[in-house]
Amino acid sequence: MAKSDDCVHIFQGLLVFGNVVIGICGIALTAECIYFVSNPHGVHPLLKATENGDIYPAAWIGIFVGLALFALSILGIIGVIKASRTLLLVYIILMLITFAFEMASCITAATYRDSLTPELFLKQMLERYQKSEPANNSDNEVTQTWDKLMLQNHCCGVLGPSDWQEYTSAFRLTHSDADYPWPRKCCVLDAQGLPVNLDGCKLGVPGYYNSNGCYDAISGPANTHAWGVAWFGFAILCWTFCVLLGTMFYWSGIEY
Amino acid sequence: RPHSRPRHPGAGTMLPLLLLLLPAAHGIAQLEYTPALTQTPELEGVTTASTFVLDQPRCVFREYGNADIWLVVALDQAAYTFNNSARPGTPETAFQDFPDPVRAYMTLNATLANYPCPKPAGDITVLRVGSETSCAQNATRPTCNGPLPGPGPYRVKFLALEGSEPVAETAWSEQIMLRTVKSSSSISTTGSGHSAGMIAITTILSILFAILLAGLVAMLVFWGSDSCGGSSTFSKPESVTVRRYNTHHVYDQPAARL
Repeated sequence: MAKSDDCVHIFQGLLVFGNVVIGICGIALTAECIYFVSNPHGVHPLLKATENGDIYPAAWIGIFVGLALFALSILGIIGVIKASRTLLLVYIILMLITFAFEMASCITAATYRDSLTPELFLKQMLERYQKSEPANNSDNEVTQTWDKLMLQNHCCGVLGPSDWQEYTSAFRLTHSDADYPWPRKCCVLDAQGLPVNLDGCKLGVPGYYNSNGCYDAISGPANTHAWGVAWFGFAILCWTFCVLLGTMFYWSGIEY
Repeated sequence: RPHSRPRHPGAGTMLPLLLLLLPAAHGIAQLEYTPALTQTPELEGVTTASTFVLDQPRCVFREYGNADIWLVVALDQAAYTFNNSARPGTPETAFQDFPDPVRAYMTLNATLANYPCPKPAGDITVLRVGSETSCAQNATRPTCNGPLPGPGPYRVKFLALEGSEPVAETAWSEQIMLRTVKSSSSISTTGSGHSAGMIAITTILSILFAILLAGLVAMLVFWGSDSCGGSSTFSKPESVTVRRYNTHHVYDQPAARL
C-alpha cells in the first residue's frame, strides 16, 4: 500500500505541477496579448486598411483564454488534491472548451500572418498612397503611414522604387513620370526635409535615393505579433494536452 | 579659236569649285560613336516610362569646336529615313508634334564646351532625355526636351550642325525600349498558399483535440463501472473501506440473528 500511495502522491504532484505551469502560462498569454492589442507599432493603419481582418480577434481570444487557463488551473489543483470526481470532471470539460478556443486563436493568427504577402501591401500602396480624392479617412492614414515609414526606415515602396515604375498608381495620376519617377520621400533628405540632390534622386544615383523596399519594416512587427500568439499558444496547448490526459487517467482511477 | 563656243567669264573657275563643293555636301563625317544608355554607374532610373538616360558624347566631336551638337530622337521605323538636312526648331522637327506627324525631333542643343574632354573621373555625365515637362505643350519651344509619349522603341543619334549645315553625325543607337506599365489591379493578392507552420499547427492541434475528446467520451462511458476501475490504485483518504465494511456488516447482522 505504501508503494501505491507513493505512486499516487507522485502522480498527484505531477498533476499539480502541470496545473501550476498552466496557470503561469495563462497569465503570460494574457499579458502578451494585452501587449499586442495595445502596442502602437505604427503600422496598424496599414494592417487595418487591408480588410483582411487583423490580429485583434486572435489576440482578444488569447486574453480571455489566458485568464480562463489561470482560473481552471486553480480548480484543477484543488480537484487533484481533494481527489473529487465532480470537480475534476468540471475541470476537464471546461478545459476542453478553453482548448478549442485557444486552438481557434492559434490557427487564426497563423492564417492571418500568411495573408500578409508583399502583393497585399503593394496593391494597397499603389491604390491609396497620395490618392487625390481620398474616399475616407483611412486613405489619408495610409498616406501618412507610408510617409512616416519611408522617412524613418529609409526605404521606398514595398519591394523598391521600381514599384512606382512597373505599375499604375493613384500617385502617378497626379505626378508625372518625368518629374516624379518615385515619390520625393524616397530621396535622401537633408535636415529641412528637402532632397539632397533632386536630379540624383530622379536619375536613381546610388546614395541619393533609398533603393530598398519597406516590406521588411512592415512585416517584421506583424510577424512577431502573429507568431507570438500562434506559437506560444501552440506550446501551451501541447502542455495542456499532457496535463489533461494525466487528469483523465487520474479521474478514472478515483474510487467513489 | 573659230570653233570654240563663247564662255561665261567665270566658268573656268566655277566648274572646279562645284566639283569641290559636291563631295563636301555629301561628306558628313560619320563618327565612330554609338549613343548608348548609361551603364556606369547603374542608375535605377536609366529608363522610366517616359524618359531615358544617355551617356554624354565626350571626346567625340573634338574637331567640331564651332558646331552645335543636337540630339535626334526618332521612332525606330523612322530612323533610317531621317533626312540630315532637317533643321532644328522647325515644325518638321518640333517635339510637340511627335510622334505624329513628326517622326523624329531634335533637342538638347549643346556645343563642344558642354562636353569637355576627357571626362573627369568620378563625375556622372549623362543626358536625361525627357526631363523638361514645363515646355512639353508649348509650341513656341519646338526644341523642348519633353517626356516621351510612349514606350518606344526609339533610336537616337547626335548630329553636329555648323550654321545650318550638318557636318558630322554619330551612328544610330540600338533600339531603346522604355518601361511598360502594368495595371495595379492586375496584382493578385489571394492564394499564396498556406505556410508549413500553419498547416503543422492546425494538424497537430486537431489531432490532440480529437484524442482529448475521445478520452472524455471514454471517461463518461465507463463512469463508475467497476470492470474498468477494478484496479483501484487511487483511493480516497477515508471513506472507501469504511463503506464496504458497513455493507458487509448490514448483510451479516440479519444472518447472525437468525
